[in-house]
Amino acid sequence: MKKVYFFATCLGNLTYANTSVSAVKLLRKVGLEVVYKKNQSCCSQPSYNSGYFEESKKVILSNIKLFNDKDMDIVVPSGSCTGMMREDYRELFEDTPYMSEVEAFSSRVYELSEYLLKENIELEDKGEPMKVTWHSNCHALRVAKTITANKALISKLKNVELIELAHEQECCGFGGTFAVKRPRVSEAMVASKVADITSRGVSALLIGDYGCELNISGYMKAHGFDLPVIHLYDFINKRIGE
Amino acid sequence: MKDYSHEKYLQTLDEKLHDKQMRDNLHSAMSTLRAGRKKLVENDYNDWEHLRTKASQVKLNCLGKLDTLIEEFSANCANNGMKVHFAKDANEANEIIYQIAKDNEADLILKGKSMASEEIGLNHFLKEKGIFASETDLGEIIIQFIDEPPVHIVVPAIHKNRKQVGEIFHKYIEGAPLETEIPKLNAIARKYLRKKFEGFKIGLSGVNFGIAKEGAIWLIENEGNGRMSTTASDVHIAICGIEKIVETFEDAAILNTLLAPSAVGAKITAYNNIIKGPRQESELDGPKEMHIILLDNHRSTMLGTKDFYKALSCIRCGTCLNHCPVYEKVGGHSYMATYPGPIGEVISPQIFGLDKVGYIDDLCSLCGRCSEVCPVKIPLAQLIRKMRAEQAFEGRNKIAGDENIQRHKGMDMAMKGFATVASNPTLWHMMLWSAGTFKGLLAKFATKAPVLRDWTSCRTFPEINTGLEAKLEKMEGVTCE
Repeated sequence: MKKVYFFATCLGNLTYANTSVSAVKLLRKVGLEVVYKKNQSCCSQPSYNSGYFEESKKVILSNIKLFNDKDMDIVVPSGSCTGMMREDYRELFEDTPYMSEVEAFSSRVYELSEYLLKENIELEDKGEPMKVTWHSNCHALRVAKTITANKALISKLKNVELIELAHEQECCGFGGTFAVKRPRVSEAMVASKVADITSRGVSALLIGDYGCELNISGYMKAHGFDLPVIHLYDFINKRIGE
Repeated sequence: MKDYSHEKYLQTLDEKLHDKQMRDNLHSAMSTLRAGRKKLVENDYNDWEHLRTKASQVKLNCLGKLDTLIEEFSANCANNGMKVHFAKDANEANEIIYQIAKDNEADLILKGKSMASEEIGLNHFLKEKGIFASETDLGEIIIQFIDEPPVHIVVPAIHKNRKQVGEIFHKYIEGAPLETEIPKLNAIARKYLRKKFEGFKIGLSGVNFGIAKEGAIWLIENEGNGRMSTTASDVHIAICGIEKIVETFEDAAILNTLLAPSAVGAKITAYNNIIKGPRQESELDGPKEMHIILLDNHRSTMLGTKDFYKALSCIRCGTCLNHCPVYEKVGGHSYMATYPGPIGEVISPQIFGLDKVGYIDDLCSLCGRCSEVCPVKIPLAQLIRKMRAEQAFEGRNKIAGDENIQRHKGMDMAMKGFATVASNPTLWHMMLWSAGTFKGLLAKFATKAPVLRDWTSCRTFPEINTGLEAKLEKMEGVTCE
């Protein structure tokens, strides 16, 4: 049986352990054996995006050495972290002695939707017909370019209709440390995003990245919006009756 | 003296965030500009991405030999009859222009539109010397009346709607009635400008493209004031940032192909003025004297950086501003220096000092839309991140004023703490365990503790959900090691 590494992400360990389980269930569904390296932590976007490159390198090198079996791919349930690990790592370590080690890691990183499509996952939608909308994480969209894979999975659910947001590609204002560094600007951005989401006539917002999820759902809850915000991989499991 | 203090910045930011009228105006304007560009790019170009790649290559090639191009350009301009000046910095440029005005006994200069002139603070400098630098671009006129800096590189008064513009014209233009309809407002402006253009001596412009092989400059505009200012005067002064110089007409044409669509969603601007020098022997009109000022003002330093030279590719289209979700919320003035938005976050610190305006780099969520739309493929988001690294004392480049920057002790500590915990499995697991165990307590402190209180100011505290390892260990086909 083919084995893959699972990278849960920091939030997948801190605030979304249940979603991590959903993600692993889907890997099991396509017949993969999953190896979870206990000492993994974070892809390092928080320090990287703040310009603390040396600190980031320290965290990155301590993480990538865990995934040492070069025949095993690394699957990540997040386009944002995938973008960081697949593209930004290469740029960060360019012209350093760690270049080949990082390259060997980055070349094996896949976002979960990409991987499930590669493994030809079949999804039997057992749920009632419903309309949903989708928010695209910026890094997933522009760096990892995994959004089409996410949407392809949603389209496999026959009873789910995806209504696009008017401004799907506009940043929700999370930006990692940005949300707490410039909170009022971040708030203005998430308010616009939520106005868009709640005007689509849908019964749920689907989302593929934990940072955006915390941001958007946190704002919505604090302002009395009761539209459910559901992570893509939790949603899929629910629809297929897992 | 401009107040670049952090306090002033926060005050401005707060003011702009609460300025509902400005935010509404900006949202409307930026949406229109984005939609215009999108429609054009999708319907009228076969391969926009290929054009971007070409344009990026043109710029990088020219930047790679900018020293020889400057020599070629200045020699050819001189041969064509232009008087070529070199200005190391803002002050030198201002002095040169002042001297030209003095030599011509002029106390009035009519300006086309030039962001470089804004950068060097020309209007203010000349005013102190008793010379009025009068704007003729519609947007620039509006902000000159109300004594505000431009809010955008291309559309300087975009934060004002037509009702507000009508009020401004009514207040500041003698005899102007109170109007709100755009054709009527244009008519007021045209009548006002016609008077100004009567018998003026000196006209000043910027340069969109300096063509080295031709010794010529290419100016683009939509209103006609640019052509008027540069052809109907006795003296024409052109300010040219050295990075604007390209090698051939074809180079400039490629860049021009992308500029108008990116800037305003039009295939081409209404006017394209290619100027090769002052009035020649056999010619009947045109300025008798033409000056071109090659402005450095930190550009050669930028050229010598490891990373930031890429920002010199900028053709000042403003599309990064139009697509920036932060810019739309805070407006151009929040960026405190001449150049706002994503491009401003990269070049303003380099021109005005990292120590003065470095803080504007936090006006970015790194969404990357700017990099996606930049016609010359400047990796803006990446460069903003790199500018943050400069401020974290981890950069590799020379930035103006970097000898004066202070360490941000709070951030340093937080990031070092993060690095320590995230690279030490024991500490990491302890962190997870603590969060899981004390989540009730954490939620209680969430409104008071630093950082957490910024999160909870408009969002609920995140629900801690840990114990992943224990959950995975129960699953078949899953190994935890």
